[in-house]
Amino acid sequence: MAKTKLENLKLGVFVVFGTALLVVAAYLIGNRQNMFGKTIPVSAIFKNANGLQNGNNVRFSGINVGTVNKIEMINDTTIRVHMIIEEKMQNHIKKDAVATIGSDGLVGSMLINIVPGEGKTTHIGPGDELQSYSRVATQDMLNTLNQTNENAALLTQDLLKVTRSLTQGKGTFARLLNDSLMAKDLHQTITNLKLSSNEANKMIREMNQMVKQLDFENSAAGVLLKDSISGNKMRNVISHLENSSLEIENMSKNLNSVIGDIKTGKGAINYLATDTVLVRQLETSMENVTEGVKNFNEVTEALKHNFLTRGYFKKKEKKEKNNR
Amino acid sequence: MGNTSTLFKGLKEFFIEIGDLSNFATRFFKEVLKPPFEFKELMRQCYQMGNRSLVLVTITGFIIGLVLTLQSRPTLIQFGAVSWMPNMVGISIVREIGPVITALICAGRIASGIGAELGSMRVTEQIDAMEVSGTNPFKYLVITRIMATTLMIPILVIYGDLVALYGSALVENLKGDVSFQLYFNTVFDALSFSDLVPATIKSFFFGFAIGLVGCFKGYYSKKGTAGVGVAANTAVVMASLLLFVIDFIAVFISDIFYEL
Repeated sequence: MAKTKLENLKLGVFVVFGTALLVVAAYLIGNRQNMFGKTIPVSAIFKNANGLQNGNNVRFSGINVGTVNKIEMINDTTIRVHMIIEEKMQNHIKKDAVATIGSDGLVGSMLINIVPGEGKTTHIGPGDELQSYSRVATQDMLNTLNQTNENAALLTQDLLKVTRSLTQGKGTFARLLNDSLMAKDLHQTITNLKLSSNEANKMIREMNQMVKQLDFENSAAGVLLKDSISGNKMRNVISHLENSSLEIENMSKNLNSVIGDIKTGKGAINYLATDTVLVRQLETSMENVTEGVKNFNEVTEALKHNFLTRGYFKKKEKKEKNNR
Repeated sequence: MGNTSTLFKGLKEFFIEIGDLSNFATRFFKEVLKPPFEFKELMRQCYQMGNRSLVLVTITGFIIGLVLTLQSRPTLIQFGAVSWMPNMVGISIVREIGPVITALICAGRIASGIGAELGSMRVTEQIDAMEVSGTNPFKYLVITRIMATTLMIPILVIYGDLVALYGSALVENLKGDVSFQLYFNTVFDALSFSDLVPATIKSFFFGFAIGLVGCFKGYYSKKGTAGVGVAANTAVVMASLLLFVIDFIAVFISDIFYEL
């Protein structure tokens, strides 16, 4: 009797645990399909369901918030997808959210992704219709790829022509590629450029050093570069120089006109400058004058020794000594 | 000519067997709801068939889950789809492998046990003695056993599924660094009622078939000690075959309701 009771107890435990496991499994599966708990129905209209099935997940910002409830064909280009969404997520999903059909990974099952909008509208309510965006279908992708392939084929044809021209040495690029002399010249140019840049660097360094060595307080260059009063003075000087140069210019103009007049023979100067006979006469006169002066000096010397005039000269010498 | 007659004879025997089995099943349905009800015997049989099979089912389920995962891993790794292991193993075990393996194990243990037990009772004329003493042997021996298998097999299947999933999770945890929580979350994400409900309903039919065939073969076993062995043997073979036939039909029916 006791044995039967023990057996019955064991059997009871076995049955209860087995049934509980079944119930828990059913609950877990049902919970993931939102069969328990409060939900709200919403829908979205698509042109292509892309293999979506009843029971597929609905995700909002990557979180499972519901499941696809029903897929209804309205007409040949319109499919209404009914979803149930957890009521607690209602406050987070706004009316401007967009529903798209995607897949869970590369080979995963299809699902609906609800992408948040700008969030300026109110939250969704039961029976609302979400905006939808039909993702690019595989056929469209293939069509685009086909177009891309055709373009790639054309491009490769052109590239082939270009490479042929290059290898045959036609055009500037081909010369660049094939001409060894040009390559040498280019190499030399680059070397020169390098040297020039080195020199320029060196010069800049030296200039930097010079600038560093400048005594901005005391040196003339420092004053020139730094002192604002001197700067103003310099500015005045420059302005004066400008005026002077203008006046010099005027003067040179006048001189030019005078020289022009001289050249054209107006006045005595031109006569003096150009008449060779007069020059000769003047030379003769000057020789005569020099000889006259020599004779006059001799006469004066003679007068100094004459007893009549000797006194006058002596008095003059004395007066000069006294003055000193 | 000889071959044809043998074939016809074999076919005739097969159909007779099916007919007898159908009559036996009809008799079960006729008498199952009629009092008196042998509750004590039913409890005893449930214990014998349910609790006593638990260890066997646990070991088998664990090994099946473990081996299935280990064998599938290299291929899934090749495809870069090793993260889909819980989905694949979960659906395979709950839909098919769990119920079928558990039922086959129970067919081996329970159907042969019933066949041998009832067969020896028939051989030793205990069943006849019960009829003479006024006790309905069909109610006491057959209905209780069929009821016990029908009720216990689904529970054993649930246990078997759980242990197999645990075995699979263990491999994933040790080899793939997948936590148990993530594994079971993924499994339950992948599962739906279209996986669980048909499998559970199918398990009741498996239990019924095991009990029915075991009782049928034992109840009508031929006289002599050899008859007991034949009854036990044919019970296992026929029950196993019937399980696959039921499984085949169940898949078709599930497809109609759930579009698998």
